[in-house]
Amino acid sequence: MHEASIALSILDIVTGKCSAEGYRSVKSVRVRIGRAAGIMPEALLFTFDVAKGETLAANAELIIDMIPLGGTCSACGDEFEAGNTYVLNCPKCGSTEFKIDKGYEMEIADMEVDE
Amino acid sequence: MKVKVVTRILEANERLAEENRKKFTDAGVFVINLMGAPGAGKTTLLERTIRELKEKKRIGVIEGDIEGTDDAERIHDTGVPVVQINTGGACHLDANMISEVLNDVPLGELDLLVIENVGNLVCPAEFKVGENLKAMVLSITEGHDKPLKYPLMFRESSALVLNKIDLLPHMNVDIAKIRKDARSLNPSIEIFEVSCKTGEGIDRWTEWLSGLGSR
Repeated sequence: MHEASIALSILDIVTGKCSAEGYRSVKSVRVRIGRAAGIMPEALLFTFDVAKGETLAANAELIIDMIPLGGTCSACGDEFEAGNTYVLNCPKCGSTEFKIDKGYEMEIADMEVDE
Repeated sequence: MKVKVVTRILEANERLAEENRKKFTDAGVFVINLMGAPGAGKTTLLERTIRELKEKKRIGVIEGDIEGTDDAERIHDTGVPVVQINTGGACHLDANMISEVLNDVPLGELDLLVIENVGNLVCPAEFKVGENLKAMVLSITEGHDKPLKYPLMFRESSALVLNKIDLLPHMNVDIAKIRKDARSLNPSIEIFEVSCKTGEGIDRWTEWLSGLGSR
């Protein structure tokens, strides 16, 4: 259940930015979470809703964009996406030489605020 | 109104981890974040390792557990400095928990600090604590499907210690598959097969540890 820690970090960042820039409240937050990042979206939504009370984000909706695992094959150059949380071979040529560059994201993209 | 944020969610933790790491580097201490499931043998491996290495390296330990001081007492009996953290429910250690106990760790008197994380094959892999590298213990009784079921920890770890190999004759576990899948996830991972009970394979592991930090 480290989703609770993740939810608290999201709240710290968005409410901090909200008050620093003088907005009244946060209406929604959009985060990008890689499918291989080890986060359960349901647990993140649940813990976010529990933790947001009495903050500037008390009424904020959390929107999660899940990013599939993806990479580039060093042998054939194919840019692939995987349905799983791991890749063992390039889906096109079968090579085991590839670079994973998507699917481990854990970042806040943007937020909607009331001015 | 829409506001761009574009911030890594764990940025605050990463910043604190970097501060911890600077303190470790300034003190000349090499730090390992030791992870693995409950019962994999993390504490037993540490006891063995300390007994083998303590003439060569000055070792210290931070123990992370949800509750209790059993692990810290076991480490204390080996004669090295140890600090226990009780997370009170949290499933992992984070950089802040480590920075809060650093005053109790005699960094100036250590070469190697091992931070034994909370027993858990998922969450600890996500949070840096200021370590130089992560290592994990997987006991063969956990089964050969674990690398592909819990890929993140295998990807994050520099070393994989396969423990309890003395039980191999009694098990239907495919060690070759564990090795192959772990290497597919993380080509540079160092793999050690050990039995903390009989001591088999411990020498290769302690030899590898001895070389760390002095490169």
